Amino acid sequence: MRWVDMKDSLKNFWNDFRREKSGMVGLFLLVLLIFTAVAAPLITSPDIPQRWKHYWLENPQNAPPTWSNYLSSVRKAPNVVYTYKDLHIKESKDASGNTVYSFEIPYKYDYQVPVKDIVIFNLASNASSPNDAPYISIVLKRPVQDGYSSVVPLMNETVSSNATIQLSTNPQVRMNVLRWLKQNNVHVDPVLEFQLRATMDTMTILFSQIQPDIQDMITNPKPLHGTYTLLVNVTAKPGISVDFSNIKVVFMGRTCGLMGTDDRGRDIWAGLVWGSRVSLTIGLAVAVLSVLIGILYGVTSAYLGGWKDEFMQRFNEFMASIPTLPILILLGVYFGGHIMLWQLVLLLVAFGWVGIAKVARSMALQIKEQTYIEAAKALGAGTGRIVFKHIVPQLLPYAFAQIALGVPGAILSEASLSFLGLGDPSKVTWGQMLNEAQRAGAAVNGYWWEVIPPGLAITLVGLTFVLLGVALDKVLNPRLRRI
Amino acid sequence: MMGFGKYLLYRLFNAALILFFVVLLTSTLFVKLADVTLQSQIQETVQAEWNAYAQHHPGGHVNQSEFIKKRTQYWIEYYGLNKPYRTRVWETTIKTLKFDFGQTRQTIFGTRDAAKIIKVALPRTILLFTTAQIIVILIGILLGVKCAQKPGSTLDRAISILAMVTASLPMWWFGMVMILIFAFKLGWFPVNSFPDPNLTGLAHVKDVLWRMVLPVVTIVTVLFGGWAWTTRNIMIGTMQEDFIMAARAKGVPERKVIYGHALRAAAPPIVTMTIFSLLSSFGGAIITEAVFNWPGMGRLYWIALQQNETTLIVGLTYISTLLYLIGMILADLTYALLDPRVKVGASASM
Repeated sequence: MRWVDMKDSLKNFWNDFRREKSGMVGLFLLVLLIFTAVAAPLITSPDIPQRWKHYWLENPQNAPPTWSNYLSSVRKAPNVVYTYKDLHIKESKDASGNTVYSFEIPYKYDYQVPVKDIVIFNLASNASSPNDAPYISIVLKRPVQDGYSSVVPLMNETVSSNATIQLSTNPQVRMNVLRWLKQNNVHVDPVLEFQLRATMDTMTILFSQIQPDIQDMITNPKPLHGTYTLLVNVTAKPGISVDFSNIKVVFMGRTCGLMGTDDRGRDIWAGLVWGSRVSLTIGLAVAVLSVLIGILYGVTSAYLGGWKDEFMQRFNEFMASIPTLPILILLGVYFGGHIMLWQLVLLLVAFGWVGIAKVARSMALQIKEQTYIEAAKALGAGTGRIVFKHIVPQLLPYAFAQIALGVPGAILSEASLSFLGLGDPSKVTWGQMLNEAQRAGAAVNGYWWEVIPPGLAITLVGLTFVLLGVALDKVLNPRLRRI
Repeated sequence: MMGFGKYLLYRLFNAALILFFVVLLTSTLFVKLADVTLQSQIQETVQAEWNAYAQHHPGGHVNQSEFIKKRTQYWIEYYGLNKPYRTRVWETTIKTLKFDFGQTRQTIFGTRDAAKIIKVALPRTILLFTTAQIIVILIGILLGVKCAQKPGSTLDRAISILAMVTASLPMWWFGMVMILIFAFKLGWFPVNSFPDPNLTGLAHVKDVLWRMVLPVVTIVTVLFGGWAWTTRNIMIGTMQEDFIMAARAKGVPERKVIYGHALRAAAPPIVTMTIFSLLSSFGGAIITEAVFNWPGMGRLYWIALQQNETTLIVGLTYISTLLYLIGMILADLTYALLDPRVKVGASASM
């Protein structure tokens, strides 16, 4: 085929294809998917695949997406993370020569359910002995409520390097809060107080209005809206320096991020974006390879004829009768419970070419009998020339449609295996996200944000290629055009 | 040209060959895996034996290393680990073919015999799957014919869109969504499809049916669209044939033309397509079972994978391959029975 002809036929093809509405939708989705897959490090962050294996401590577990607040009558506090940049730490010297680092975090609270916890991560110092360890004092300033003091001292303690400070469950914080309540004439039953020291939901108390009896504050908390300020002072002895560069102060929310978090606190949105890579890679690699092998096998079989054709067809039938999923599961178990991505591609190709080879053979058999093949033979064309110049190009339209139609099957197979726990553990895949959701009982507990998005993503990719395939089939194989 | 009996024989032979190869493959892989587990198991057993011996015969004159050596030898011979790898693969193959899969490590469904466990699970899978499939076929044919009558109608378009969407979604995921909506949110159906073991008689039947609703609805919803679409395509082809025109010209009522003439002529490809779609949806349906905790083959697969029960995996692979092959032969048989023109294999007619 000459270049001019090619350009012309491509133009014709595009003109036909443009008229297929479903094909255009598919094309748009495909562009969107490829963009997502390529731009995944920019949309989220480049270290997601490494971090995916661990717990994400700075996120709450099983938290719904932040926008779910708009769907519900109860507004829950979202997750907020403050890093070094946000804190504006001030440094000063006190009378005895100690260095005092201080920062304050203003926090606007207008929700019904407060944060789960306030946690400070990675407060590092170079203190070598407990005596030198820096001293931290934390105070929460509440919005003014008439007749009550608005400053709650939470903590005065030395901290070891890299300690994680969880305010909600800290015994000293609980004691301080109870003391503050009593100073404000809140009735605390002594027996209850003993219990509360171990089990109190500190954040709910801190973020709601003071009532005369603590019992009411627990059973029927009324949120106190307004701007809170968390004041933190870290005092270090001379010669001791405190490193704030990795510090994170997290207001551990009840909702988190664009798509919520799973049972390890991982951001589902990040998983969704990164999963598109594996899905597209597997789908396209398997479909392209299967179709190539299938077409070559079918055409060779048809061209050779005789006992070779017979033998190749028997082998084809043999492959077609092997049930794919049980064998894949079997191999997955043999490989130690996990099938690597490239192994999976090879295995899916090993089963995927069969049907295509059969159709390609019957198409090639028809083409083989055409007079122009005879003419080419008479002109002295060799086998290779006839197969690759005259037969295979005729099959290309069929091949393109089949590539598109073969993608969803490959994606579904990968997802199924990953769902059974046999997936590649080094990759972020939608099937594995669903596997973890199933193991954590997400569906049973109503964690819809862990169940619905990954499956929708799989469906969307599958649908993209089905739409493309059907449109290609209609345009490229006009004989098959139906009303 | 092959006669039908000969063709059937050929297919049976082909199936037997595949079954044999699959079992040989599983044996080859799993004898190797079993080696490792058995070795450590023997070590543990012998150590325990020595501990018991030393307790009962304090100050005995038997040397510890000699004792351990002797007992290890005994167990190695007991499990046949001293035989060459090839022999053991062969023996395992024969055993598996005879449905002797060995013991699982943990008790499942009240027994540790892998064959018995599968025997308990298989009828449940067949019950769930056949029920769903019958409904799918009925709805699919009815809707498919309706679409073929008026191609391009709203129903026709809706069905083709539905077919495209359901072809690209994982059935087991749809099951999870169903649980989320109908079991968690609305609370209409039980979350867990495992039947209540305390019920017997009619109450038990009612309980099982009640728990089957969600899985069956899941399978039906995902499959009927594609099925209707296939029927529609085959029917549209048939409706354009001359004999339909002739029947209409004769004044045969339209109903009869469609169900008596067209559907009958289109039956063979429809039936083969059904069986093939049935076979290809089997995998998805099996995983769906695991989602609903329906105690069938799929649940077994899930358990076997979670607890690493290799004997059970071997058994499950064998049984599902067997089922698959039976399905393939049934597809061939029904095609030949329904279509008198086909007395030979598809390959010979090309």
